Amino acid sequence: METKVIFYILAAAIFGASVLAVSCRQAVHAALYFIVSLLGLAGLFFLLGAPLLAALEVILYAGAIMMLLLFVIMMLHTDRRDRELYRPPFWTVPVLLSLLCGAALVMLLARWPQAAELLPSAFFSPGQFGQVLFSRYWLAVELVSLLLFVALVGALYFGGREIKAARLQPGEGGDS
Amino acid sequence: MIVPFGHVLALGVLLFLTGACGAMVRRELIMVLIGVEVMLNAAVLVFVAAALHWGQVDGQIFALFIIAVAAAEVAVGLALVLAARNRTGAASRDQFSSLRG
Amino acid sequence: MPTLLSFLLLLPLAGAVLQLCCHRLLPRRLLEVCACLAIGLSCLMAILAFVLSRGRTSSFALYQWIRVADFQASISILYDPAAAVMALMVTFVALLIHVYSVAFMAADKDYGRYFCYLNLFVFNMLVIVLAGDLLFLFLGWEGVGFCSYALIGFWYKENANCLAGGKAFILTRIGDVALLIALAIFLASGAGFSLSEVNHAAPALPPGRITLIGFLLLIAAAGKSAQLPLSVWLPDAMAGPTPVSALIHAATMVTAGVYLLIRLFPVLSLSPAAMTAVAAAGALTALYGAASALAQTDIKRVLAYSTISQVGYMVLGVGGGAIDAALFHLLCHACYKALLFLGAGCLIMACNDEHDIRRLGPGLRRRYPLLFWPFLLAIASLAGIPLTAGFFSKGSILAAAFGSQAAFPLLWWLLGSFTAYLTALYSFRLLYLVFFTSDHGKAGKRRPLPLTMTAVLWPLAVLALLGGLINLPLGTDSGWLTGFLQIAEEGRNHRVPELALGLLDALLALGGLGTAHLLFGRGRVREAIPGRALADFCRQGFGLDRLYQLLFAGPYRAVAAFLWQGVDVSLVDALLLLPGRFLSAAGGRCRLWATGRLTTSLHGFLLGVSLMLILVTLKIYGLW
Repeated sequence: METKVIFYILAAAIFGASVLAVSCRQAVHAALYFIVSLLGLAGLFFLLGAPLLAALEVILYAGAIMMLLLFVIMMLHTDRRDRELYRPPFWTVPVLLSLLCGAALVMLLARWPQAAELLPSAFFSPGQFGQVLFSRYWLAVELVSLLLFVALVGALYFGGREIKAARLQPGEGGDS
Repeated sequence: MIVPFGHVLALGVLLFLTGACGAMVRRELIMVLIGVEVMLNAAVLVFVAAALHWGQVDGQIFALFIIAVAAAEVAVGLALVLAARNRTGAASRDQFSSLRG
Repeated sequence: MPTLLSFLLLLPLAGAVLQLCCHRLLPRRLLEVCACLAIGLSCLMAILAFVLSRGRTSSFALYQWIRVADFQASISILYDPAAAVMALMVTFVALLIHVYSVAFMAADKDYGRYFCYLNLFVFNMLVIVLAGDLLFLFLGWEGVGFCSYALIGFWYKENANCLAGGKAFILTRIGDVALLIALAIFLASGAGFSLSEVNHAAPALPPGRITLIGFLLLIAAAGKSAQLPLSVWLPDAMAGPTPVSALIHAATMVTAGVYLLIRLFPVLSLSPAAMTAVAAAGALTALYGAASALAQTDIKRVLAYSTISQVGYMVLGVGGGAIDAALFHLLCHACYKALLFLGAGCLIMACNDEHDIRRLGPGLRRRYPLLFWPFLLAIASLAGIPLTAGFFSKGSILAAAFGSQAAFPLLWWLLGSFTAYLTALYSFRLLYLVFFTSDHGKAGKRRPLPLTMTAVLWPLAVLALLGGLINLPLGTDSGWLTGFLQIAEEGRNHRVPELALGLLDALLALGGLGTAHLLFGRGRVREAIPGRALADFCRQGFGLDRLYQLLFAGPYRAVAAFLWQGVDVSLVDALLLLPGRFLSAAGGRCRLWATGRLTTSLHGFLLGVSLMLILVTLKIYGLW
């Protein structure tokens, strides 16, 4: 019974934090709200029987990715406010479409018998997880590592160019 | 855990649509990236819930892959944002249209 | 014999092909020699064939090119006496004109094209002359039309020349269509296309059809030979180089129509109505040409109208039933008219492209005696001064008209005789104005003439003087040409008082000379025709050009303009443009989706996703 309550509280928190993250004017605030949402998601993962993912969510997402994002935001220090954000014509169409989508999906879920089934209280240990990961999905793991490597090279390539450009033009470099 | 499967999926739907709205409404590239991250997290949530529902660990593995891909995407995306910012001084996404057909 | 005739026919074609293919590769001198040599050898073949055949007819097929069921057309040759004489004349005159052209075109860089067309022209004329098959003849007929078009518009950089070429092409095309219809009627009547068969089968055809064919042939000949309804192209054809005019007028183009009538005379003679129409067309054209020539001031236009008039005589001869007289006049006319044109070319060249006979200037007679004497002989022959070739040939035609079977023979004879007087008048007007102006005026700059240009005049002059010998009527015997042509004598009207007619002709010619002397002698320059309006009327060729402009070209242009502006632009094009405009507008709208703006793409993406989801939902709920 408590888990049920915890789930709904977490769900509400995640949703609220996400909405704030998406609609907040200041980029730094938005990133922080998003981190809140991520932490809530990590808790949810734990509830859903995925402790390893919960840990990874905190370490990787909230810890690494969002820190990178925050650093970049501070580097760009976009203090320019998004003034057109709240003008109706700009957001009406996406929001309306989203509502339509949401209504359709929810209606679909309501008609789906399996959606009404209660989730079991199962638990996948990190050992189980690792065994399946490295036995059945070893190729995918290699591919993902390759992808990360390529992303690293790409980021270095663009970043390297930035450094070179910054050296050539001291006035307007990467720190502007 | 006695929550209905549908409720978790509904949360995923809500998160996904919130992210989509954010990616569409915001103009700064950073904010677009955050919107996309929200959408990815919704997908991760749905995968994890599905893993639990059918009692198979594969869903969680895919959630892990999605996190890895998100990391790669953010790395490259941020590098691009920096490069674009340094080249044109612009951060609004509609100012980058030189790749149009 | 077949070999000889094939060479006679194909040598000019070979020359044309050589000019066409090699005129960039070979030196100019060699090309000119080749062009002349092709015609010269052809002329040699014509002489050999003439000597060897001794008046026998030979016909053979070179190649059968169409054979469908019982219809067949072949490239065949019918070499009868008329063809023999014609081939001889065509190749000989063409040879002289080629030699003359070498000097005349010396300053022109486009000699390759010129000689190519010239050789091709002669080839096509020889096809007409020698063809034993009507379809083959028609090929040559069209080829002649094309070559005349190409050569009249030879100096294509001036628009007037191109227009003149186009005019010649279109007007002769009317005649070509008539000939084509006549051929179709022959085919439909089962007569086939072979000349001998057609002439053989003609009496079996119904008379109405024969008359129709006769009129069609008359139109065809009128188109090619510039006879009255279709005569207006010839004066404008002067836009071409002068040797080309000589070739068109003397040897190749305008004689083709008369020759066609001679070739198909057995068919034509079966219809009295058609014969009368031919005689009328000839006589009226003769008068028309002579009257118009009297008022012209451009030397080449005088000669052009004179050609129309003289060819009218030939047609009158055919209409009068005397094809020997027509052919006789054709040969004599070829000689003196070629000479006149070549002489006119010399004059124009000598006076620096001056065409106006009143301004050619004094002193030409003393300065160019080698030019003056042949010109004088040719003028005398044209005027029909007694004992020249023109006198005999014109006399025989007038005699034929007098005794012809056609309706109103006396009327045609009277018209012809009056024309003879006018002919003498205008020819000597030309001579007086050009060569006998007073020597006091200032003489323009004169250029020396190349020897080749004056030398070729002399053989023609001799023929113009003595050509009458080939058909000299001695006593009651008919002349050599008539005998050679093997004309049946029994149909001939022997009650014609030939001696009296001849005397009358002589008197008329001399009267014309006297009148001309009175009017233009001692360097006087004045109008030959009394009354300014009448003179202008004659100068413009009886206003035929304007009439056709009014009757055909004007309405045609109006209809064309209406079809263009009214129908094509505002109806057809608009209808076609309507979907185009719609698509373009729709495209403009669609373009908004492809601006490359990320926002637009994302909107589209979300729209698509929601549409799909809604559809799936509706499907699941059974609402759709």
